[in-house]
Amino acid sequence: MRTPDPDVNYIVSGLERSGTSMMMQILHRGGAPVAFDRSRQADYHNPKGYFELEGGKIINRLMEGTFPFDQYRGIFVKITAYGLQYLPSGPGYRYKVIYMQRSLDEILTSMEKMSGPLNREEERPAFEHLHRFALKILRRREDIDYLLVPYRQVVHNPVEEIDRINRFLGGMLSREDAVRAVDPDLYRNVKK
Amino acid sequence: MEDKDKDKDKEKKYSTVSIPTPLVEKIKQRIEGTGFTSVSSYVTYVLREVIANMDEEEEEVFSKEDEEKVKERLRALGYLD
Repeated sequence: MRTPDPDVNYIVSGLERSGTSMMMQILHRGGAPVAFDRSRQADYHNPKGYFELEGGKIINRLMEGTFPFDQYRGIFVKITAYGLQYLPSGPGYRYKVIYMQRSLDEILTSMEKMSGPLNREEERPAFEHLHRFALKILRRREDIDYLLVPYRQVVHNPVEEIDRINRFLGGMLSREDAVRAVDPDLYRNVKK
Repeated sequence: MEDKDKDKDKEKKYSTVSIPTPLVEKIKQRIEGTGFTSVSSYVTYVLREVIANMDEEEEEVFSKEDEEKVKERLRALGYLD
C-alpha cells in the first residue's frame, strides 16, 4: 500500500453528522494514518467512536490559528465543514480533503437526536448555506484537492466507494479491511 | 503556423452553441455601433458577466445570521466552545 505524502494535510470533512466519523473509521481500518484522541468517548450517537481531536472542538483551535498543521502532515484529521474556512494557506500548505455528503434531512434528524429540538425552518437553510459555502472553498482553493463522498453510497455500496476513495488516495487503503468498518446496522436515520 | 494547424487550434479553444435565429437578429441590432465585432464576442461577454454575478451572489449565501445559527447548533453538539 502506498504511504501518505508527508507534505500534505489529509482531512475528512462534511457537515456535522454527515458520516465523518464513519469515514475516519474506514480510513483507520483500511490502514491510513488517522489522528484522534479519547477526549470524546464513543456513545449511542457514535458507537464506534468520534475519531476526533480535542473532543471535537478543533474548530476553536482553527479559529484561533493555533492548530499545529505541521505536526499532522501525512495524517488524516477530522475538520467539519465550518472549520474549512480557517485552513491556513501559503507556501508549504497542501490539502487532500474527503468531503462527506448526506441528505440534509437525515443530518438534521441526527443532530436533533444528539443535541435536542431544532427549528428546521431556520436551521435547514443555515446548514444548506454552510454546505454550499464549504463546497465553494473546496472548488476555489488551488491548494486543496478534494473528493466528494455520498454517505448513502458508502453504506449501500461500500466496496465501490472505498475503491473510489482509494484511487483518490493513490492506493493507501486495504480494501478488505476498510470495508469491514462499514456496518449498515449502525446507520440510523438513513431513509430507505 | 500553417492554416491547418490554426484550424486545429481554433477547434480546441472554441465550441459551437446553438442560439435561436430571432435572438441572433436581436443581438446583431443591439451590437451595432458598439465595440463588439460579432454576435459570438457579445454572447461570450454576457455569459462571462452572468457567471461572475452568480459567483458573487454565492459569496453572500452564508450570511452572518446563518453563521450564528450554525454556531449555536455546533455548541449544542459539542463541536464549539
